[in-house]
Amino acid sequence: MEGIADFLDSIIGGIDLICYSLAVGGLTWGLFVVKPWGNVDWQNADKQGQALNILTERAIRLIYQGAFALVIVQLLKILLKIWLMDSILERWPFPEFASTTQFIGGIIRLFLAMALAVFVYYVLRSNANSRQHWFYAVVIALLMIISGAWLVHAAGRFDDRVLLMSLTTVHQVAAATWIGGVFQLVSTWQLTRQKQIPDSYWPASLKRFSRVGMFAIAGILVSGTPMALSYITSWNGFIGTGYGNVLLVKILLLAIALGFAWLNRSAVLEYYSANKQGVFSRVPYYIEAETFVLITLLFTAASLASQPPAIDIPGLTATWGEVLHSFTPRIPRTSSPSHTALLAGEAGRLAIIGQIPSAAATAWSDYNHNIAGIFVTVMSLFAMLSYKKSLAWTRYWPVGFISLGIFILLRADAESWPNGTMGFWESMLKNGEIFQHRIATLLVFLLGGIELRARMTSDPESKLPYVFPVLCAFGGLMLLTHSHVGFQAKSSFLIQIGHTFMGLFALIMAIGRWLELKLDSPGKNIAGFISVFAFFQIGLILIFYREPLY
Amino acid sequence: MHRKTCHRQRLLCGLILLFCFYSGLVNAHAVVTDYSLKTEEVNAGKPAQVKLNFNSSIELGLSQVFLVRTGDVEETLQVRAGQEPGVVFINMPALDAGEYALHYKIFAADGHITEDIIHFTVQP
Repeated sequence: MEGIADFLDSIIGGIDLICYSLAVGGLTWGLFVVKPWGNVDWQNADKQGQALNILTERAIRLIYQGAFALVIVQLLKILLKIWLMDSILERWPFPEFASTTQFIGGIIRLFLAMALAVFVYYVLRSNANSRQHWFYAVVIALLMIISGAWLVHAAGRFDDRVLLMSLTTVHQVAAATWIGGVFQLVSTWQLTRQKQIPDSYWPASLKRFSRVGMFAIAGILVSGTPMALSYITSWNGFIGTGYGNVLLVKILLLAIALGFAWLNRSAVLEYYSANKQGVFSRVPYYIEAETFVLITLLFTAASLASQPPAIDIPGLTATWGEVLHSFTPRIPRTSSPSHTALLAGEAGRLAIIGQIPSAAATAWSDYNHNIAGIFVTVMSLFAMLSYKKSLAWTRYWPVGFISLGIFILLRADAESWPNGTMGFWESMLKNGEIFQHRIATLLVFLLGGIELRARMTSDPESKLPYVFPVLCAFGGLMLLTHSHVGFQAKSSFLIQIGHTFMGLFALIMAIGRWLELKLDSPGKNIAGFISVFAFFQIGLILIFYREPLY
Repeated sequence: MHRKTCHRQRLLCGLILLFCFYSGLVNAHAVVTDYSLKTEEVNAGKPAQVKLNFNSSIELGLSQVFLVRTGDVEETLQVRAGQEPGVVFINMPALDAGEYALHYKIFAADGHITEDIIHFTVQP
């Protein structure tokens, strides 16, 4: 059960940040965008009072939903930590756990999140236009935010502890302001589409949030930069450690999200000068794509917190050469060692005393990845060809996913069913890595089956095409947070780095496909090309994948 | 129009739920930044004390250190906190010459549990 407990413990960090963003970002949205208490100039807004009430009510709903969810998540975090310790230490962790900062701080945060949720639900909801009640909600939220400072990683450090705790807290609040605001924008667009609020509220909301968003991004950069410089003190630490690698992915995700924010802002400026259509025909879909990116960013941030800072592991840092070697093109491995040879090397590879690296294990893994790469590259080429009307049969390329799924199921985990001695369910419960592989396999089958049906349907209103990008984004998220548990940090990192870049491309593929389905030409065509190109890149990484000997 | 909006709501909820089932990294935040075995030999037949320096504060009551002998047989060792934060002392029994390892499971003040291994040789 340790594998599952560890897996769930990691999940909960990302969910926590989503709930936190809903609650904290919702409050800043209310304070700086909606401002329901005064004579607010909502440009050209008709039925101002009623619409403003609807907008405020929806904002408050998201805040208390986020805060109540945060209470549950915080409780689950504590329970999971108890389970994880019981599982790893093989004993009941109390009474010692009750006196730790994590337990005490966690309980305090839980009660403060509960206080916020209860206040917003019972008091602010009925006094939604009272500035004073919004102020009270902010005070409670501030207490909850401050209590969380003792639960971040900086709390355990020796140097600049208070400064790093403060920077982390500011970073979280700034990120929550942006991401929570984007959640509110998605909600506002729903109200606009449902005609519950006048159309003019949509560009007005975007314009108002644009200013808040810029402050939030400035806050993210101003707090994040000194933290990064504190935890990573060399270029090698940035390139050659898991911490640096996840931070690089965070920066790239931030750049993509900022790209969408810039597109949105440009469309809003156009709306108030000449072109009125962009904010309705493009921006809602950019914001949906931005939501994909930002949620991934939150889970990546949670993963970053699980990595030892580069400054602490100078002896376990990979060199530039070793990192580049992981991506160097070569002829893919098309022959696999036998299952017997693989199992023969496992005892030595897994031993603590007298550990012997297994060439068979490395070759087994290289073969799996390289063959999967051939599947993906061929699929991506067929996907490119499917845009030519004369090659209509190539639109069935998703069938390749089903073949890939069978291949992964048979080859991914040699120690378990059908090749190894561990049963199908037993291996999933005992080993978090096998559990991850099984989810990935299920995902691949779903991707193939659903996208194939989506491309065969003649119903233009079918929603099936939208499932593919969502599953791709989920797959990307899995890859971005995928790990091979091991005691050798450098080997684990060299395995991790290929997976994180594939995850990034999977996310790009997802948002490209999403926008291809939503936008009109020429945006549609550009997005489609980017999506297929990202798919092709995943194939190339897999084809040239090579695992370190360990 | 309304059906479309409901669909989008369901899709967004589904999206958030799906993202919730992501895979995780092993928690590995507290790491050993220095240890006495790097510079001090352990000699056969004599009890020894090993010092570990961690990068983070440690909850000692929730941490374990094992001596690993040939054949990966593990034995729990006594651990005590040093005077400086993040410093841990381990009392090792008298050992025969050979290859050994320290296997530790540490609960750091930041809430993460770390498992790792330090290999060492006992000199004749």
